[in-house]
Amino acid sequence: MTRRQKRLSVIAAGLAFLGAATGLTFYALGQKASYFYMPADLTTASVQPGQRIRLGGLVEKGTIQRRQGATVAFSVTDTQKSVKVMYTGILPDLFREEQGVITEGTFGPDGVFVADSVLAKHDENYMPKEVADGLKAKGVWQESKSE
Amino acid sequence: MLFWVIAAILTLGASLAVLLPLAGGSKGASAAGDHDLEVYRDQLSELDRDAARGLIQPAEAEEARAEIARRILRLDNAEPAAKAAGPSTTTRLVATAAVLAVPLISWGFYGELGSPDLPSQPLSARLAKNPADSSVDELVARAEAHLAANPSDGRGWDVLAPIYLRLQRFSDAVAAYRNAIRLDGDSAARQAGLGEAIANAAGGIVSAEAQDAFEAALKLDPANPKASFYLAMGLAQEGRVPEATAAWQKMLSTLPQDSPWRGAVEQALSESANKAVAAGQPANEVDAASSMSPQDRQAMIEAMVASLDEKLRQDPRNAEGWMQLVRSYVVLGKADQARDALGRGIAVFGPDSEEARKFTAFAASLGLTATE
Amino acid sequence: MVEAGHFALVLAFALALVQTLVPLVGARTGNSRMMAVGGPVAVTGFALTVLSFATLATAYASSDFSVANVWENSHSLQPLIYKITGTWGNHEGSMLLWVLILTFFGALVAVFGGNLPATLRANVLAVQGAIGATFFLFILTTSNPFIRMNPAPIEGRDLNPILQDLGLAIHPPLLYLGYVGFSICFSFSVAALIEGRIDASWARWVRPWTLVAWMFLTGGIAMGSYWAYYELGWGGFWFWDPVENASFMPWLAGTALLHSAIVMEKRSALKIWTLLLAILTFSLSLLGTFLVRSGVLTSVHAFATDPTRGVFILCMLTLFIGGSLALFALRASRLTAGGLFHPISREGALILNNLFLTTATATVLIGTLYPLAVEALTADKISVGAPFFNLTFGPLMVPLLVVVPFGPLLAWKRGDLFAVAQRLMAAFAAALLAVLVTALFIDGTSAFAALGVGLAFWLICGALTDLAVKSGFGTVAPDVMLRRLVGLPRSVFGTALAHFGLGLTTLGIVGTLCFGTEKILSMRAGETVELSGQTLRFEGLYPSQGPNYSEDRGRFALLGADGSTTSEITSAKRFYPVRQMTTTESGIKTIGFSQLYLSLGDQATDGSVVVRVWWKPLVTLIWGGGLVMMAGAAMSLMDRRLRVGAPSRRRKPTGAVPSASLP
Repeated sequence: MTRRQKRLSVIAAGLAFLGAATGLTFYALGQKASYFYMPADLTTASVQPGQRIRLGGLVEKGTIQRRQGATVAFSVTDTQKSVKVMYTGILPDLFREEQGVITEGTFGPDGVFVADSVLAKHDENYMPKEVADGLKAKGVWQESKSE
Repeated sequence: MLFWVIAAILTLGASLAVLLPLAGGSKGASAAGDHDLEVYRDQLSELDRDAARGLIQPAEAEEARAEIARRILRLDNAEPAAKAAGPSTTTRLVATAAVLAVPLISWGFYGELGSPDLPSQPLSARLAKNPADSSVDELVARAEAHLAANPSDGRGWDVLAPIYLRLQRFSDAVAAYRNAIRLDGDSAARQAGLGEAIANAAGGIVSAEAQDAFEAALKLDPANPKASFYLAMGLAQEGRVPEATAAWQKMLSTLPQDSPWRGAVEQALSESANKAVAAGQPANEVDAASSMSPQDRQAMIEAMVASLDEKLRQDPRNAEGWMQLVRSYVVLGKADQARDALGRGIAVFGPDSEEARKFTAFAASLGLTATE
Repeated sequence: MVEAGHFALVLAFALALVQTLVPLVGARTGNSRMMAVGGPVAVTGFALTVLSFATLATAYASSDFSVANVWENSHSLQPLIYKITGTWGNHEGSMLLWVLILTFFGALVAVFGGNLPATLRANVLAVQGAIGATFFLFILTTSNPFIRMNPAPIEGRDLNPILQDLGLAIHPPLLYLGYVGFSICFSFSVAALIEGRIDASWARWVRPWTLVAWMFLTGGIAMGSYWAYYELGWGGFWFWDPVENASFMPWLAGTALLHSAIVMEKRSALKIWTLLLAILTFSLSLLGTFLVRSGVLTSVHAFATDPTRGVFILCMLTLFIGGSLALFALRASRLTAGGLFHPISREGALILNNLFLTTATATVLIGTLYPLAVEALTADKISVGAPFFNLTFGPLMVPLLVVVPFGPLLAWKRGDLFAVAQRLMAAFAAALLAVLVTALFIDGTSAFAALGVGLAFWLICGALTDLAVKSGFGTVAPDVMLRRLVGLPRSVFGTALAHFGLGLTTLGIVGTLCFGTEKILSMRAGETVELSGQTLRFEGLYPSQGPNYSEDRGRFALLGADGSTTSEITSAKRFYPVRQMTTTESGIKTIGFSQLYLSLGDQATDGSVVVRVWWKPLVTLIWGGGLVMMAGAAMSLMDRRLRVGAPSRRRKPTGAVPSASLP
């Protein structure tokens, strides 16, 4: 091989590598990105059982039930629709009734959302951004101007 | 004054940092090529060290040495050194502009942003002030600091609770009374105070919780005027005006002549008399309305509420005003407007503020929720 | 004297403007006096920023609630240490810390840059001044920590409880030292572009700065990861949270820069690429600042959400990234290319490293920004989390880790892969042994686990092989070898240590992910739980009072083989009344390199408590490896070559640039 050919083959290898990396990245984005829904969105969106999504809304008042062990059942609502969620594990410190929450997981065949992670709002001034936007879009929650 | 001295010294120092190098003696700068040469020399000596240590093979070292030598040869030593010109017009111009810019920008900007007359106020200094010079707030803060350190000082809570009440910090008053009761035991005054705090925290509504406290106070001291007064008030609020009137009249007959409660009871009686006429209306707003026709009265009340609304738009930081407005709308049967007023009130203080919580609790006590 | 600090900040802004313009004009016109202004001004600006920061810290320490920022983020009952760390536990204060570090690095260039060519030094200080001026303006107009309140409120609103932790005291300063350290590399690159030439001393200057910045960034990320691990109570060490990614991207790019700067220094090759990488690394630091500070992300780190700030930082980002890249496009062709080399050589290995690292950076960047782009374009909300990064980042890292031991052993210009492979036989054998032992004796179910352990041992033994080969192990007498080992350049040790640390971190990650176990159960006092051979007994909940919180401490006894208590672990639920917030304090017991991790959940009405117990084998190695990497960077920094650097004054008395002390 001449020097020129060598250089070309090195460049070609580099480009092939970058192409493969790009392909992998976009494949992964298509496969692994999880969409965010509010309960009312689920009537229009088609979410298959087993498809990973994030479900956000408010923890509906009076729906938190502790089952045996560390399993908790509660409903997530956007005040229009609500969805029953099952979760096994330790709830975040800020998990309370009528507070914003984001759960991530999949729908079981019985229509109950089985969450493997639950995020609550992080502090007093902060509602999960998606939940706030979603509620605002539904006209349920109004942004308040402080001072 | 001290601040201005410090600011002047700082400005002077900063200006000198700009001025001195500009005014300084002429210094010739080295050409970049000289620096490169030094680096290459150092690389050569490093190469020798590595070769001596056996880190690289002699052939590689030779090759690398030749490469560095080629770099040295390529150096363009003809590059002129930077000019060490004497003070030219440009230099003077730039120097003047730069030196002037420092005080002008800083003083101009600071004038916009700063509060030069405001001294530091560390907490310890504020707490160390002579109590006589302190504001009530500061005295309270001192008491709070004391109680935070000694949370089981029941007497401290007992002293602080009525002060909270007077400062209209009702929820703090509730907590303080509860602590005092827990630590120093029940007393009629404490239970009555607790009831008053609970009622005021809810915007004057005597809730079941407040009633419990007042009843506990009466059990300890059947003659406690505060408890009797508020219990009657609760009756009036429930619409049992005749019973309330009877209770107040009974108080008038038993209270001593110099009791401070007489005035309050008399006022409450006259208001409840009015209320009997304008049933369901907030008593203090309808004094003049009692002699009007129902339509006129309705119009007048609405005008009054509208003016309160307007006043709150002008001066929104009035927690009592907002609660009054919300209650007025509820009483007028305008739930939507009440909800709107509640929302605006919460917006003024921020959804996480103490006031907002109070509003929400108050609204809930009126059977109103923010979102429906 | 709060206002003096405020004034000093404004004055520092004015000086930063002068520092930008005067040396720049001086370098263009060749006026040595104007160039000389940069040094003293940079040092004075630093002194003023120190004064400003010290004033704010004093206001925090003394609970001066007449300063709005103190009132918002402090409370008189907080322990003194958290009062002080609260200074940078909020948006405004942390931005002040940022410029403090920026001006500190600028002052270092001014003080130690006497041996730089005068125009390069002037241009570097000018670019630093420009970055500083923009950040000062940002602070003064959108995030001023010195806004006063009159009359002063009596009590503050308390620092966010999850930030009341020693981890927070160390994490941001380290992270910022890293982020901002790359600003020096950026300034050197832009200065070289402005001049249109790269001096030979350029790489010698950029490399130590890269090392310093990289060292602190490594520490900052490790500290942040450990903080999240024990404070958030979820037991995870890395969440692929956008804010974590924001610090990880500059680290990946900085690691690439660290390696390409070696090629540039030794071989004068890859000049243009190194320059671009330096610009990109700092751009990613700025992007990180934008992501964290503008509030576009959903995260624990978003202290504040304020659109004016976001727009300001976005403009800043456009100015610096766009400006420097435009300058690069204009000027890069004027820079000369360097020496040639064979693909199989030290240079080739370092290029491979750069290829993998920059691609990995790009995947992290895409994963971080993609949700924002999707939301902006389609209003769909998606999240890109660990599954995405495991699928893209993992496959990029594994081959990189496999080739790491080859790099330092290859010769410059043209290497002999076969000879290097022979030298690595011992390391390969050790790795193979580790795979077999893992598969046969520890866990034969997961091939991934066994291979992961093998990879970690391959890295660790590869680093040791590097040292052994360079000191002549097996070819010379032991005493000669020892003398040679001691005499090796510090940077050789640095490389070996850093790669060794990488192996430790890999081992920690593989151990925790593959062999970790967890149990979630509800426990009553007196009940025991057994996990991976450790037996724990729940002793009960005990209420307790802290300075500004109350807590329920759950006590657990770790039982020995005979049932006796060997040690006690405590996990607590804390309640902070001022913010009405509850936090979970995890209970951690370190056993060897592994940890037992306990987290308390809610209390049920029947008195039982939900408890989550993890066994995390080798987990401490994740951060221990980071420390070793830092030590490697420190070791490299001590290398004689980097200290000697450019021409000595001894040889060039006339060429010395005026010393940059205070006037």
